[in-house]
Amino acid sequence: MDPMEVFKIEVTGQEEFGAKKYRELIMDILQDLGLIRSIGRLYVYVDILKPYFAVYGLLRSGIPPLTVKDVGDVLRVAGGYQIKINDEEHMANLLRVLWERYGRERVEQPARDIVIIASDTSPSELMVADLEAEFLQDLTDALVRVAPEGFRNRRNIMTKDSFFFIAAEESLTPDMESEIKGKIREMENA
Amino acid sequence: MLEPVMFTGGLYKHDLVVELVEDLGGYVLQKNVTQTEIILLILVPTEDLAMLQSLAKELRGELVRAPLAGTEVAVVTPTLAIHHLPHSACDIAEYLRRHGSKTNMMGLARGVGREIAQINEYETALINEHDAAVFIFGNFQECIKKKESLYRNITVPVVVTGGPQIEAKDLPYAFEYVSSIGRVAHRARKATEIGSLDRIVESVGRALDKTRASIAKDPLTTSPPRVMDSVREQVPDVEFSYSPLPIALNLTGVRVKLPYDAYKDAVKAVTFDEGVSLGEIATIKPSRMKDYILVRILPASETGFVF
Repeated sequence: MDPMEVFKIEVTGQEEFGAKKYRELIMDILQDLGLIRSIGRLYVYVDILKPYFAVYGLLRSGIPPLTVKDVGDVLRVAGGYQIKINDEEHMANLLRVLWERYGRERVEQPARDIVIIASDTSPSELMVADLEAEFLQDLTDALVRVAPEGFRNRRNIMTKDSFFFIAAEESLTPDMESEIKGKIREMENA
Repeated sequence: MLEPVMFTGGLYKHDLVVELVEDLGGYVLQKNVTQTEIILLILVPTEDLAMLQSLAKELRGELVRAPLAGTEVAVVTPTLAIHHLPHSACDIAEYLRRHGSKTNMMGLARGVGREIAQINEYETALINEHDAAVFIFGNFQECIKKKESLYRNITVPVVVTGGPQIEAKDLPYAFEYVSSIGRVAHRARKATEIGSLDRIVESVGRALDKTRASIAKDPLTTSPPRVMDSVREQVPDVEFSYSPLPIALNLTGVRVKLPYDAYKDAVKAVTFDEGVSLGEIATIKPSRMKDYILVRILPASETGFVF
């Protein structure tokens, strides 16, 4: 079963095998990069005679930025705040953010998963990582991997809740772009 | 007639195998030591194979036929990018190696795309130094048909692989076409995928048999394994080459992995028991691969004798 609500792929000509294989390929790559759960709908249109490759996708609700309270428990202690780290994956980012905000001399790490800050301001709301930006970066990487390799003229339009990616061998023209948008719209309404 | 086999077993007492092969008049083509394991690629006279089998059994080793031993196959992809590697290309190359072939992976400089795919003279000449080539293409039949220009000028048999079913008449320049192995993003692990790899090996085997049959019509003056043995004996520096296989065997000669300018005379001067030198029965020229020496044994029709 597809984890996406809609996943349509259309290839011109007698290329049923290509369409089937590209479906598997896209799933494999999105799964490898851990993106599949963030994409709600996906439409892929390939015209192999022109040739071009287009992907239009709708994203699931935005991912909030990761804050200090998401990676550990913040407690008020004598002389400052203590953070008990639960998720070590973002440790390097967390320390960098704390050093920038409080200065190295006020951040102490007595144990591997404990950080103590000598300050009266709580670090709870400090942003550790911008997950949305990382996601969009990974998504662009996935689209470049998915597109056939020779299609090196690319355009990627990303908005808050959707993305539209075209790759072609020849230069991209406004006509081509509007033609592809029309085809994708047809797929959406079908 | 020499039989190509692969011995896999423990390092302990493997010398017995090497000695027996030499006593029987066979050749050890390649020796790979991996910690306590050893893999030997061997050519042994067919009538004496039973003797080697009983020794392998005694040493608790495994002896299997390696139909592609003593050949060099080029595995060619449109480029060496993530789109083709590591999955399909590495799987095919490794599978060919398991059947005894020496494989070289090649990515073309500008092999991508449908309209823009190209191959240059150097790449063509390098592929022609091999005994066969496997071209790995993708999932769209239009592209696979269009990319025929990449291998049209290649003189060695070319096995083309791709996803969809395509009739042989649509690819007249390919020796054979093997379907169901187009672009994938995972390793070959299902039975059907392994089956496709088997079909590639069979197809390459048929391509090599065709070349062997055409060589048999005008046999080579001497056999490539014999040249390899003599070069190894008389040009000892070859053992100090950093290459894992210092002398690579082809169906029509060998590639000696030593710098051409410094060693061409030494290779030419290699003499056989019959009193002829290698320079007299083979052409010795620079290989397109690095700075190596390419030895191509002349056929009997040119030298007038066979030994």
